[in-house]
Amino acid sequence: MACWDAHTVGHGAVRDWSGRDGGGQDRGGRTAGGQVARKATRRGVLAAALSLPLVAAGCKGIGALGTPPPPLPDVAVLRDAIAGETLMISRYHAVLAAAPALTGSLGPLLDQHREHLARLRARLVEPSAGSQPGHPPSPAGSPSATQVPSTPAAARAYLRQAEQAAATALLARLTTAPPALAQLLASIAASEATHALLLTPGRRPG
Amino acid sequence: MSASPSPSAAGAAGQGVQELAAEPAAAVRALQMALTAEHAAVYGYGVAGAHLAGARQKAAARAWAGHEAARDTLAAMITALGAEPVAAAPAYRLPFPVRNAPTAILLAALLEDRVAAAYLGLVALADDRLRVLGARAVQAAALRATEWRGRTLAFPGLEVPGPGPVPSGAGAGQPVPSASGPGRASPSPPPTGPAGG
Repeated sequence: MACWDAHTVGHGAVRDWSGRDGGGQDRGGRTAGGQVARKATRRGVLAAALSLPLVAAGCKGIGALGTPPPPLPDVAVLRDAIAGETLMISRYHAVLAAAPALTGSLGPLLDQHREHLARLRARLVEPSAGSQPGHPPSPAGSPSATQVPSTPAAARAYLRQAEQAAATALLARLTTAPPALAQLLASIAASEATHALLLTPGRRPG
Repeated sequence: MSASPSPSAAGAAGQGVQELAAEPAAAVRALQMALTAEHAAVYGYGVAGAHLAGARQKAAARAWAGHEAARDTLAAMITALGAEPVAAAPAYRLPFPVRNAPTAILLAALLEDRVAAAYLGLVALADDRLRVLGARAVQAAALRATEWRGRTLAFPGLEVPGPGPVPSGAGAGQPVPSASGPGRASPSPPPTGPAGG
């Protein structure tokens, strides 16, 4: 009982935020899809008919209503987390460009950062997000290979400090996030703290 | 849920929870989950420690003591919220036979994965203090798991590989000893297991 319950909690959380979209769509699509589509079509015709006079009269329509509303707080938290993860990936790229010998040991950590980024991006529902998961845009301040330490020990120390700072920053955002996002951020923060552990002198990542 | 005076053992942390928990029922549920995982970890480290030696046994002893302390803290917090802390099961079925150091290390890592998953429940609460407490505990468990496993997970607590030890009373109705441990079939885990070295 004990551990099965704990197991359920962890995976329940996963289902909570990864399964929400799929479940909803499945239900809607299968049971009421046709009806919804028919109604939508009727509405669409009606809307098109109503908009014609507006266009004819030179109205700007929705665009004239004002600036878009500011993002919700959780969107801001998510964007910050995405920016932080993107920066971390660019740091690994810079270090690996300067010290290719570290590829074997840093590769698994970099891969996990890519997983973090993909999971965060999957939660952000906006047109500009998630379009290029394999090639994150370079954020402002992202380092180049010439700006990072090239000796293995110094490079690992540089990344260790960055991992620790990233974990701390995520924990600081924890209380402003909605529950499921807070769990994801806490998990990623824990992962980054473990990266820092493996990057401590005398340890071998992997 | 009401009028249960918090024992002195609950301390300031428990009192703070009582004042701050915006959703006592949800907080109690999440704390009980974490306590349940801590009970299993205390038992599991008792088993794992008996198969380890040297620095590894010392590490298991430290982790075992840490989980005992966390267990007591959680129990005090739950009591402060007016609920009865969930009790440890008399025995736990292990996910696989623990016969030697490699399987003991595997078990220790798994225990920490499960503890991390349980504490993640606290992170979903509205109460900021419980969230942060939960997140720090997830991190601590992930660090210990990494020490055992030698590698990291992308999503500690969200990804729990394989089943952990489950109380044998839940399904079978009788204690199930670990396959290798005649000495481990006792109803309560010997606390001196990992501490012996």
